[in-house]
Amino acid sequence: MSYVFFPGCSLDGTAKDYHRSTLAVAAKLGLEIPELKDWICCGSTAAHSTDPLLADALPAKSLASAGGATVAVACAACYSRLKAANHHIAGDAAVRARVARVVGSDYDGRTPVRHLLEILSREIGLARIAQAIRHPLKGLKVACYYGCLLTRPPEVTNFDDAENPTLMDRLLETAGATPLEWPHKTECCGASFSITDASIVLELSNQILAMAKAAGADCIATACPLCQLNLDMRQKDIEARFGRQYQMPVFYFTQLLGLAMGCPAEELSLGSLVVEPRDLLAAKGIAC
Amino acid sequence: MSTAIAATIEIENVGGLAGEVTARGGARPMSCFQCTKCSSGCPVAARADLKPHEVVRMVQMDQREAVLASRFIWECTSCQTCSTRCPQQVDPAAMNDALRAMSRAAGKVSAGTAVPAFNDIFLDTVRRRGRIYEMGLMVRFKLRTRRFFEDIGKAPSMLLKGKLPLFGTQVGGKSGRKAMFRRAAQGGDQ
Repeated sequence: MSYVFFPGCSLDGTAKDYHRSTLAVAAKLGLEIPELKDWICCGSTAAHSTDPLLADALPAKSLASAGGATVAVACAACYSRLKAANHHIAGDAAVRARVARVVGSDYDGRTPVRHLLEILSREIGLARIAQAIRHPLKGLKVACYYGCLLTRPPEVTNFDDAENPTLMDRLLETAGATPLEWPHKTECCGASFSITDASIVLELSNQILAMAKAAGADCIATACPLCQLNLDMRQKDIEARFGRQYQMPVFYFTQLLGLAMGCPAEELSLGSLVVEPRDLLAAKGIAC
Repeated sequence: MSTAIAATIEIENVGGLAGEVTARGGARPMSCFQCTKCSSGCPVAARADLKPHEVVRMVQMDQREAVLASRFIWECTSCQTCSTRCPQQVDPAAMNDALRAMSRAAGKVSAGTAVPAFNDIFLDTVRRRGRIYEMGLMVRFKLRTRRFFEDIGKAPSMLLKGKLPLFGTQVGGKSGRKAMFRRAAQGGDQ
């Protein structure tokens, strides 16, 4: 199967570390993900809460240019918007016609869209992942956090079990880590309210961090730029607001996979994490 | 069984607010029987002025003013938990998208929210540049909402960690994109 990569806007900014670690892991696996040329922003929540037609047209413009390849996505929000547009356009001829008039060309809504977690788990497969592991993450207890938009709504994303997804758990287990059972895998972190009303993010992210800690996690693994930023960068604000100190490193799952595959720390941009992970990694004997 | 039947019933001739929300696509407010699963899972139900099941009932009862002026529709994080768990395919998240657009069109947006301003700046950035450039987005948002100092302490460490590049990427095709936004605003009509 051939892929083109839709990085999305965050991966060129606040989530550069996700971008770099994704490319590092892909290189270790021989997975070719050239960037989709001239992709445009998916429109995110701003588009779907303003104009449903624009919210379908923006992804359609990018997806129509994939040339038959499967679109690989790292950001959970982009993934959700690309999948939703496909769902609406392929499922309703009237929507397809309106989107075609807005974009200026017809798109059938059938370009396959896959998240990295799906590609690595199901298309590359855990057996090939296992072969690429050089330094198993022995003893590292990870709370795998999926957030909202990978699993919901399930009839649109068709990602995994909507209430208890396990794709990331199985991947990191293959990398030698110990994924934990915990109830906040798909709770909301507050997403873009980080800019418009941070009090929502502090409250919701605090609950997620508290539960990860209660479950005995050493760290959290994420698959979404907004989730990672909120849970990592907001820990100091949460401490000030709620008087709870976590010092809980929040990785992208690609950074943990990359460590297990022997990628150097710079390639994984570990220095971009706000909560320093080095003490934890040293305590677990994980070289970086 | 009853869920399957409810899902297949086409609701016709629904008037008022419920009719408008239904016509905008996706949501089925008249199917709600108040099980409150949406509110149980809603991350902002505890803090907002209304809970999702209350909003749906108010839509059914055509309480236009109270719904369109509510804070709840702007505090919803669009996490889709309500829509995923709803046994009646009401899709409260899609309903909220419709209500937000209607609230703006009617000039009823709740005073305390900065979300519409953020959405406008976000979409205008996409229209002009094709992509979001976070530094520019934050600066424009702060200027518009006059929140100059909130979170400003985060900028230096984010710059140092390479999380806030000073210059964003942009893609060509600006005139085509502007035309696309114009046609979308006209509803994609011929």
